[in-house]
Amino acid sequence: MPTLFEVQRALRRSFVEGNGDEAAAYILSDGPAPGARLDIYRNTSIGALTTALRLSYPAVHRLVGAEFFDGAAKIFIKTEPPRSAHIDEYGAAFPDFLAGFSPAASLAYLPGVARLEWALSRALHAPDAAALDMSRLFVVDAADHCRIVFVPHPSIGFIQADYPVDAIWRAVLAQDDAAMAGIDLGSGPVWLLVQRLETGVDVMRISKREWRFATQLCSGRALQAALDMAPGLDAATVLAGHFAAGRFIGYRLETAP
Amino acid sequence: MRRAAERGSIAAGAGVGLRFRHHQAVIDSKPPLPWFEVHTENYMGGGAALRDLDAIRRDYAISLHGVGLSLGSAEGLDPDHLARILRVAERVEPVLVSEHLSWSISGGVYLADLLPLPLTEEALATICRHVDQTQNFLRRQILVENPSSYLRFRHSMIPEWEFLAALAVRTGCAILCDVNNIYVSAANHGWQASEYLAALPPSAIGEIHLAGHSVRQLDGGLTLSIDDHGSGVIPGVWQLYSDALSRFGPVPTLIEWDTNVPPLEILLDEAARANSFLESARSGFAHADAV
Repeated sequence: MPTLFEVQRALRRSFVEGNGDEAAAYILSDGPAPGARLDIYRNTSIGALTTALRLSYPAVHRLVGAEFFDGAAKIFIKTEPPRSAHIDEYGAAFPDFLAGFSPAASLAYLPGVARLEWALSRALHAPDAAALDMSRLFVVDAADHCRIVFVPHPSIGFIQADYPVDAIWRAVLAQDDAAMAGIDLGSGPVWLLVQRLETGVDVMRISKREWRFATQLCSGRALQAALDMAPGLDAATVLAGHFAAGRFIGYRLETAP
Repeated sequence: MRRAAERGSIAAGAGVGLRFRHHQAVIDSKPPLPWFEVHTENYMGGGAALRDLDAIRRDYAISLHGVGLSLGSAEGLDPDHLARILRVAERVEPVLVSEHLSWSISGGVYLADLLPLPLTEEALATICRHVDQTQNFLRRQILVENPSSYLRFRHSMIPEWEFLAALAVRTGCAILCDVNNIYVSAANHGWQASEYLAALPPSAIGEIHLAGHSVRQLDGGLTLSIDDHGSGVIPGVWQLYSDALSRFGPVPTLIEWDTNVPPLEILLDEAARANSFLESARSGFAHADAV
């Protein structure tokens, strides 16, 4: 008699690797064949995961069409099945998959749109966290300001793309053909900041210098080190903007090396 | 341990499975229902979904119904997922917390469906251990739901109804009796639905699920009933529900409708229909008490 572990391993192999022989041998074959019975589960599983991807990547879905999307999703699910039942977190690797998916190669901006959508999906589902009140920094000695390390809000994300993927994303979801036609794909790279606000998730275009400063601040780098990466930046104004938008939820002081 | 599923902690009325698209309608119109059930996994993040649920929680009891814990996994429970369920439960303070008699995870891969267990002593011991672990971790009783199934394993030794009853006796968990799933599995495997109901201990039944299902044509003129929650409850399932209430007494009952989700009014109509059965069951039981 097979163990529970062996039965589950066999069914997993039939799902993920497409080899259902061992699983079929464990299944009663009265009426519909074991393979047809397994297919009921496999199709439900692929359907559920495809739906999850479609909810996270609605603009990609519209850009490539339902049939193409479902086909790409099926291959992706097989190569990158979910590692947890927290399905909101499933699909982080889809943009990289699309970048290497040759049937999608003619849409050069597709992986960039997908990366933006993943950042937006992450922002949508990020845990709640209260914004850092600037007054809490008053206790920090001026001499220590350079050592402040901010904790970013969990919804914050950064995207750099070679195409105006924010404009494409907006036009596609609004089904605004005129806006889509007006997009200049050669307009150069964009630097984007994604965040969840009270009103919903938002994507903002910022300058390359601001983007570099913000990514450093939000990746655990101390204030002075982040400033060093963005010479010429009006840091006081930019920081005030971050505070006003609630982009930090805490801070610590970097200890001397 | 908190016996959350004991009768009385939630009114034995009909509730409705709450989907995102109905959040606003529920907040605005406050339909006359005692409770809603949500999928635990849909509220593990923050933002608007959780804020809506907080608002709904002020007016309704909430039941948390998980689909991802994989109580039957040979390789043990995912401690991260258990911790996520606890976080949602602490936030929502649900009246009921339920999961399934099934498994979904093997080799660290989540298979995204409720897969059937081989019904053996080994599987029973495994799921008992995981239900114990879950109840200890959440510090409350959970309910375990019978799944609908489309296959059986050659080496299964224990009828599913006996397996479920033994799980309840050994762990003290409650049973979420999905009447539609009994109907579907009975149709697929040639079981007697009445025998299934008769084997379940009435005192362990904490909730009933009702839903629609479809019948799929397979090659060779064969059919399988598919539990797709995409339509109304069929007459045969209402009849089985009536039989269940005759045996179990009035039990909180949920209308599930998860695909092709109709307007909220349709769900409220189904709930009203379930309530009329519950009303009959109440008077029937009162009558029986008086005799």
